[in-house]
Amino acid sequence: MSLSNLIKNWSSLRVKRPYEDQYKDKDYKWAMVIDLDACTGCNACTTACYAENNLPVVGREAFSKGQAMHWLRIERYWGEGEHMDKFPDHGAQFLPMMCQQCESAPCEVVCPVGATHHTPDGLNSQVYNRCIGSRYCSANCPYKVRYFNWWQYPERAWPNPLEQQLNPDVTVRSKGVMEKCTFCVQRLTEAKNRARTEGRRVADGEVTTACAQACPTSAITFGNLADDKSQVARIWERQQIKLASDKQEKDENLRGYRIFEELRTYPSVVYLERVRDSEA
Amino acid sequence: MSKVHTLALYNDFEEAGRTLQELKAANLPGFRMDDVAIKSPIEHPELSEMLGKRPVYVQLYTLAGAVLGSTVGFTLIASAQANFLLQIRGGRPVVPIPPDMVLTYELFILIGVLMTVVGCFIAWKLPGNRSTLYNTSISEDKIGILVKADPLVIPKINEIFSRHQPLEIMGEQGR
Amino acid sequence: MIHTTDESDIQIERRFVPKAKDISEDIAWAQINKDVLRSMERPRLMYWVIFLASLALFSFGVYCEVYQYQTGLGVADLENPQVWGLYIATFIFWIGMSHSGTLLSAILHIMHADWRKPIYRFAEAMTTFSLMTAGLFVLVHLGRVWEFYYVVAYPNERWVWPNFNSPLVWDATAIGTYLTSSIVFLYFGMIPDLAICRDNAKGFRKKFYWFLSLGWQGTDRQWANFRVAYLTIACFLIPLAVSVHSIVATDFAVSQQPGWHITSFPPYFVAGALYSGCAAIITLFIVLRYVFRFEAYMTMPILDKTCRLTFAIAMVWTYLNLIEYASVWYGNDEYAKQTLIFRATGTYAPYWWAMNFLGSIVPFALAFKSLRNHLPTMMVVSLLLNLGMWLERFMIVTPTFAHGYYPWTWTGDWWPSWVQWGIVAGSFGWFSMLFMLFCKIFPTVSMYEVKEMVYHRFMARKARA
Repeated sequence: MSLSNLIKNWSSLRVKRPYEDQYKDKDYKWAMVIDLDACTGCNACTTACYAENNLPVVGREAFSKGQAMHWLRIERYWGEGEHMDKFPDHGAQFLPMMCQQCESAPCEVVCPVGATHHTPDGLNSQVYNRCIGSRYCSANCPYKVRYFNWWQYPERAWPNPLEQQLNPDVTVRSKGVMEKCTFCVQRLTEAKNRARTEGRRVADGEVTTACAQACPTSAITFGNLADDKSQVARIWERQQIKLASDKQEKDENLRGYRIFEELRTYPSVVYLERVRDSEA
Repeated sequence: MSKVHTLALYNDFEEAGRTLQELKAANLPGFRMDDVAIKSPIEHPELSEMLGKRPVYVQLYTLAGAVLGSTVGFTLIASAQANFLLQIRGGRPVVPIPPDMVLTYELFILIGVLMTVVGCFIAWKLPGNRSTLYNTSISEDKIGILVKADPLVIPKINEIFSRHQPLEIMGEQGR
Repeated sequence: MIHTTDESDIQIERRFVPKAKDISEDIAWAQINKDVLRSMERPRLMYWVIFLASLALFSFGVYCEVYQYQTGLGVADLENPQVWGLYIATFIFWIGMSHSGTLLSAILHIMHADWRKPIYRFAEAMTTFSLMTAGLFVLVHLGRVWEFYYVVAYPNERWVWPNFNSPLVWDATAIGTYLTSSIVFLYFGMIPDLAICRDNAKGFRKKFYWFLSLGWQGTDRQWANFRVAYLTIACFLIPLAVSVHSIVATDFAVSQQPGWHITSFPPYFVAGALYSGCAAIITLFIVLRYVFRFEAYMTMPILDKTCRLTFAIAMVWTYLNLIEYASVWYGNDEYAKQTLIFRATGTYAPYWWAMNFLGSIVPFALAFKSLRNHLPTMMVVSLLLNLGMWLERFMIVTPTFAHGYYPWTWTGDWWPSWVQWGIVAGSFGWFSMLFMLFCKIFPTVSMYEVKEMVYHRFMARKARA
């Protein structure tokens, strides 16, 4: 049975991804746009993420050791040396960083047990039950957005009665497994199921991630890239960013870019560069 | 009529060699050179040659193991991947050739090695088939010549043995 | 067994520079048996000192591992970019150590270098035990050790398989193959010697060796098949050994990180493996020679040859090391270049320079005959070489994590916790404990091959005369 399957489907088994228009005929391809010009670095998204995804607050000591579990982190850059920010009095630059849901994710290839793989709707999923904690995915992630449960957090992060505030839709991870931003997959699944019952596709704006929902300046836009009319797809279109390209051919003055595109990870998150006023 | 064994112990390979030559020349009835075995602490190819051609088939097992390991290995791995279609990883094809080649290579060696050992064990006729005529000094420095022959020729063989200063001649008891 | 412990018939050299006397061709075969079997009798006091010290180290390692198992990997002070730490570095170290056993026994066997014969047995044992130690680190570094079998492709009703793309699965397959094959090779080459043990043992030991020697009686048919099978396994082992460390190198070379994604990593790793393994052989040579009084078999000319071999491999490693730096330096990859500069000038610079000094400069001690024949110097030098090779692995793993692609995660001050050090120390205890046990239970010098060596040399001398 397996041998005949192998021979019959040989050509489809040999397809490399991503390819042009990979998601054209699919229903969903979740993607994101983050406007750095709008980001104020207020950390509301991070807080929302902690609340939504049952992220443990690790405490001062573990945090100082670099064991924090922030799936979404706000990075603050001042620059140094010759890269020093030209306008330090304008304040720091911020960059919200979470899993980029790469189409060709380095982490997926190296996981020995296949605990992380690509879902049909373009997410980079993590199967906690399958994870054995080799941390190879984190080692190979250029963005370093995978977080490992160094401790048995459930016992220390939510002492009674704090466990009452946990999100019942999301599991609490035990020690020794890797975790990372899921694009709030629990919300996406719920929305998709609801839409399927009603025999339609999830409408634009019907579902969004916790971070996008919490952002006071609406810097984060989340949506379905396979839907041409969605806001995300329109921004991608306007910024002339193609999912399956490692070097974008775009007009000079466009702000959109993807981080580490040259590594051929094909991320699903587009950042809009910050415009700085050089006159002021 | 069943054949019986006799074993002579010699001090060095030269005496044993002369004994073998005489055994060969004697051309006794009910005795074949094929039934002679040398027991020695180290291998001595020249002495073994006097016993006639004794082919070794271990390589065939090795070949079988190597072929089996590589073909079955690749097929099993590739079909396992093909049956796990949901798992698209890192944009790679579901059945990627280079990783499968690496694994096939390892299985080729693993099965090759194991089949070599199995082949050798089969050639040694394990388990069992241990002749009772053995002297612990063979594992030290003495050379033994074991002959399986018709009981009627045994005295003659022992006579040939004793012409070359054997240390000891052992026969099977109770026959 | 011969129950004599008289030392009158053993010539113990009490000097640091013993005579360069090779194995005597006139040595009686019975004497060879006697001398080697004596090593399985009451050992010297030093044996117990080494054994108990390794047992203590191992127990401490077990304590650390239990603590880590129960509390979580956080106690190892691993953190977000530094996810592997000493565990993977030491894992590569032990895998590397295992390679010289194969070099010494398989390659030199095929090339008919007869000086390998007295020392290949313990080198093979070293291969097997260092692989077992390396295997421990695979388990120790896992977040959920209790699920380690997910890596193995075992048939299951849900058709869930490991990810065959992952270098870690290649690792598991390659190390499994290598461990199996090297145990088979070690055991197989030992069968004639086990028969000697069987013939000389009493009581339960006789039963033990009787079972293990598989009815070996030294018949011509047994020898002929044994030869062919042994040679075949040796032929298999050579490419296998190369592939194993290449695959360990792909753990890094296949990944995208700067400082790892280098084409020359597989040969570099293989050279480093042979290098540290040869240095370990020198160390163990000196230890065994002393502990089991193998002065008559582990002779100075053999040590001399091993040292020269080590020197040659050290130079190969030095070359490949420089090639790695050069290809990064002249390559166009700014990230890799920065990681290299970080290694040479950043927080870990002292270790980087120490590694280059120990790996490339110290081996020149092996080039001098007077130093090669001075046992204490060789002991120190071989340990230093292995320290250098351990630092090399540390310098591969740590700086890339500390200075990878993403500037936000650059860390300069990461240092492993005592738990990691404890487990690393415990692994050395585990290795030497197993090794010492092996030496006590099995013949460490191959008796039948030494006899062959002596016999052939004797015949050659007779032919000349």
